[in-house]
Amino acid sequence: MNDYMVINARGAMSVFETYIKTTPERLWEAITDPEMRAKYSFGVRTDSDWAPGSHYKASVPGVIDIAEGENLDVDPPRRLVQSFRALWSDEVKSAGSSRVTWEIEPVGSSCRLRVTHDQLADDANSELFGGWPMILSGLKTLLETGELLDTPGSLRYSQATA
Amino acid sequence: MDGRGALAANQQLSRGLTCDQSVTYSLGMDAVFRALADSTRRSLLDELFVRDGQSLTELEERLPMTRFGVMKHLKVLEEAGLVTTQRRGREKLHYLNPVPIRLIHDRWVSKYAEPLAATISGIKRELEEEP
Repeated sequence: MNDYMVINARGAMSVFETYIKTTPERLWEAITDPEMRAKYSFGVRTDSDWAPGSHYKASVPGVIDIAEGENLDVDPPRRLVQSFRALWSDEVKSAGSSRVTWEIEPVGSSCRLRVTHDQLADDANSELFGGWPMILSGLKTLLETGELLDTPGSLRYSQATA
Repeated sequence: MDGRGALAANQQLSRGLTCDQSVTYSLGMDAVFRALADSTRRSLLDELFVRDGQSLTELEERLPMTRFGVMKHLKVLEEAGLVTTQRRGREKLHYLNPVPIRLIHDRWVSKYAEPLAATISGIKRELEEEP
């Protein structure tokens, strides 16, 4: 497809990083609480019991399914590894399973949050990982100011009801 | 990995957001704007956008520049938090981190440019729909 060599035999990878002035516990809660999650994820909630090996589903119930997978490694409040199968269109469904790793590292009075999306195909549809910057920007804004982002697209599903 | 520069910038950014100190907020953003204010550094970001996770050697091959020059520019990008690195065996791979650009978008672009952009794309659509 292009002249770049395949560096990672396990597929392409994208890394998203930001520093958020909060505690690891608050950050973990914001990632795993369905209501909080919906506030900065286009209105999409993520439901799970968060036990290792458990299933999760990201959706606006009755409106649209966004993603699902398994919680492969659950180590609160530091690390969450999930398999990721996108569900929002036939095109992304055909991409199959990839992996999302959330890592929280306290640094001073802030936390570094790193989201690594890997095990992607080398020609993966950028829709699969293109939403992370907006999600992390919204998460940072929510935890630091208590406010929601209202930039176009960021509240896409927040008014949707079944 | 040296993330101290990025941390300092982001801490300033965070402090600005939580304490409403526009001066410190601007300092954090300054590192990002400064990093972007150079065509070579923007072409490095474009290279990583096309193919994320490249080594110094690969980036050096694609740009008309010495290894030292590429290293110097990558350091500025890393300190602004626009590039993150991961070790893979002997190699250090560079990844584009688009989150600071998204923060700029949410802080600046959406406020000033999007109402206008929406109008322009509306006009464009109307013109294209004309028979």
